[in-house]
Amino acid sequence: MLSRIADSLYWLQRYMERADGMLRLMKTSYILSFDKVQTSSMTWEPALKIFTSLSAHDIETLKKDNTAALQYLLLDTKNFNSLKVIYTRARENARGVQDQITKEVWEQVNQIYHQINQPGIAEKLAGPDAINVIDSFIKYGDQFVGITDSTMPRGQGWNYMNLGKFSERCLQTAEFTHSFFKKVDFDFQNEQDILFWRSLLLALSGYELHLKNYSNQQHNYNVAQQVLFDKNFPRSLYYALDRANKYLNDIAASNPVEGSIQLKRSFGRLYSSIKFADLDIVEREGLEKYLIYVRKELNEFGRALGRTYFSYS
Amino acid sequence: MTGEALFKQYPIVPHIWDEMKCSDGIRKQYYSIFETGSKLSLEDLEQKHKLASELFMSQGITFTVYSENEGIERIFPFDIIPRIITGAEWNHIEKGIKQRIKALNLFLKDIYNGQQIIKDGIIPADLIASCPHFTREVFGIEVPYDIYVHISGIDLIRGDDGTFYILEDNLRTPSGVSYMLENREVTKRIFPNLLAESNVRMINNYPLMLHDNLIALAPKQKANPMVVLLTPGIYNSAYFEHTFMARQMGIQLVEGRDLLVDNQKVYMKTTAGLRQVDVIYRRIDDEFLDPLVFRPDSALGVPGLVSAYRKGNVAIINAMGNGVADDKAVYAYVPDMIKYYLNEDIILPNIPTYQMNNADEREHVFQNMHKMVVKETNQSGGYGMLMGNSATPEAMEKTKQNILANPRGFIAQPLIQLSTVPCLIDGKLQPRHVDLRPYALCGPNGIDIVPGGLTRVALREGSLVVNSSQGGGSKDTWVVDMPNE
Repeated sequence: MLSRIADSLYWLQRYMERADGMLRLMKTSYILSFDKVQTSSMTWEPALKIFTSLSAHDIETLKKDNTAALQYLLLDTKNFNSLKVIYTRARENARGVQDQITKEVWEQVNQIYHQINQPGIAEKLAGPDAINVIDSFIKYGDQFVGITDSTMPRGQGWNYMNLGKFSERCLQTAEFTHSFFKKVDFDFQNEQDILFWRSLLLALSGYELHLKNYSNQQHNYNVAQQVLFDKNFPRSLYYALDRANKYLNDIAASNPVEGSIQLKRSFGRLYSSIKFADLDIVEREGLEKYLIYVRKELNEFGRALGRTYFSYS
Repeated sequence: MTGEALFKQYPIVPHIWDEMKCSDGIRKQYYSIFETGSKLSLEDLEQKHKLASELFMSQGITFTVYSENEGIERIFPFDIIPRIITGAEWNHIEKGIKQRIKALNLFLKDIYNGQQIIKDGIIPADLIASCPHFTREVFGIEVPYDIYVHISGIDLIRGDDGTFYILEDNLRTPSGVSYMLENREVTKRIFPNLLAESNVRMINNYPLMLHDNLIALAPKQKANPMVVLLTPGIYNSAYFEHTFMARQMGIQLVEGRDLLVDNQKVYMKTTAGLRQVDVIYRRIDDEFLDPLVFRPDSALGVPGLVSAYRKGNVAIINAMGNGVADDKAVYAYVPDMIKYYLNEDIILPNIPTYQMNNADEREHVFQNMHKMVVKETNQSGGYGMLMGNSATPEAMEKTKQNILANPRGFIAQPLIQLSTVPCLIDGKLQPRHVDLRPYALCGPNGIDIVPGGLTRVALREGSLVVNSSQGGGSKDTWVVDMPNE
């Protein structure tokens, strides 16, 4: 497979996964903004912190204004991580590999791009239709996942796509978790009620699973347990790293080039930091430190991956 | 309005050949369209038009218009009423194009080797020497099977008496074939029954035929030669076509940065290391192909490509240097080439062409400029053209000055009224001018032309310029075998 193609497939999926996580977080934030409870001060803050590079002061102003926050996060091209920019980049990547993805996948990405560029979308976000707009994009994203799964051939391209998807997911879960636990100073004893955690869990599509699995009141502890270690929760760090590790191994097996051994080794170290750990260990060493470590390692891995397989220019 | 009224009210313009209607009524090849159309309402037809546009949009068959820093995606306009050619007309066109390609191939072989045609005084040496696309860098390079013009898109027009003329030869990297194929797919969606009933000749094996040719051109007899399509990238206006063709043939779509040349062999950079490339179907112009030989500032090409080509380690499709054969001044000599190389008379006539470096002809053109179209010899895509019937006196004067400054850079031809076809515009069927570009494939086993080609239509009323960059659209083109023909 051409290095450029591998690069584009990897990034196509990273962007699509990023859009998906972002939309789920926004939907939760938006719905929460109507609840007049103390947690409402949290509403737009995580999304603005993660998906913009605004100053603390700008975030303070923006988070009080639903429409402005939504429009900045979704449509503003000055924001390098706005949904519009993310979709545009996803489409550019898809365009460059149009002959390597199926026609169905391309048409879906293309359609999403045209939807975010449809006339009048900014007005819709300002009115009662805002939630429908967000919902429709979540649906398009789900369709993208389904279409990709049911039409893309399994092979090298598929491996790069999934490696991109699960690295991005892992980063996102770490980011989201970080911003919510920061509010409680990464302290498992400083109990918050479930309403506080509900936004995090909804943003990770894990609220229902949480209710089913945990009946005691140690919410901080339970939430950390779920988002870090639950093997059956598709957005847990464990699950995402486990999948990414599998696809990396498949890639290395079919591309035995210089550097692939080191790449596998360094990712394996990160993976074992969750595989051979439990919450007590993480608590002892500090959750904040651990989450920062995961993000740092993932970013370093991304650079090494580029050097090993994508260096074509 | 009913479809019947729409079709009945369709006007024909005097002294212009209309493809659907003549003074005696509807031509027989259009009967089925006429009948089906008459049963539909205007709303039905406009609904079909809308459906067609949506199909193009959702597939990303678009080009980008940049304004105010924001890219706006547009589709190439498509008109739903097909352009129909009878089987007998087509057979004549096919014979004519095959003859022409054969002669042009022999000419390219000759001009980059012994130059016998110049020595025998058929074509003046200075005409070739002054051609900007005469590429000395490829002199003496041997190409597989002596084929230079693997893919051509020769433009034809139809005059007022129904005769087909050759308008120009496109022998470098002709585009538009994906529109020919996609237009047919869209027609299948909007007029499914009509297509089945009408005995339309099939075109969708074009990519397979091309793929077979590309494989056959591989320099060595390999079981699995590596064939790639070289594109300038996603910002090129024909990028859709590049992805379309790569997908249809199942070959790799590569950019210049994906390739490198080592020891006069071409490789592509893959995740598993370098892999040798045997055949390149390039959609990049000669001058950008190799910065070591042509434009040094080109970032689209591959340094060293010409050396690998000269060595015979890679086949390049189309051959480099073909521009000398589709130069607009050389065009005038194609009938002589056919006589010289094949000893045959030309089947599809040229349009009379005046050479501006001949003083008598130049004077004649200056006297009759309002009846002429003046073209720059090295331009294409509808650029650098002056239409005498609609040009302002200032524009004419300016063109005269330009011609005097560089007579070799221009030719002139009498204005020919292109034939018209009905188009659905503003709720009415209106006549618009069209040309025809059939795509001919030349491989080791001979020349194949898919029946039909791309019909381009000038959507502005009265306009004779069909290029998409100048407000043109396209139509599906049917070759229909008539009973008792």
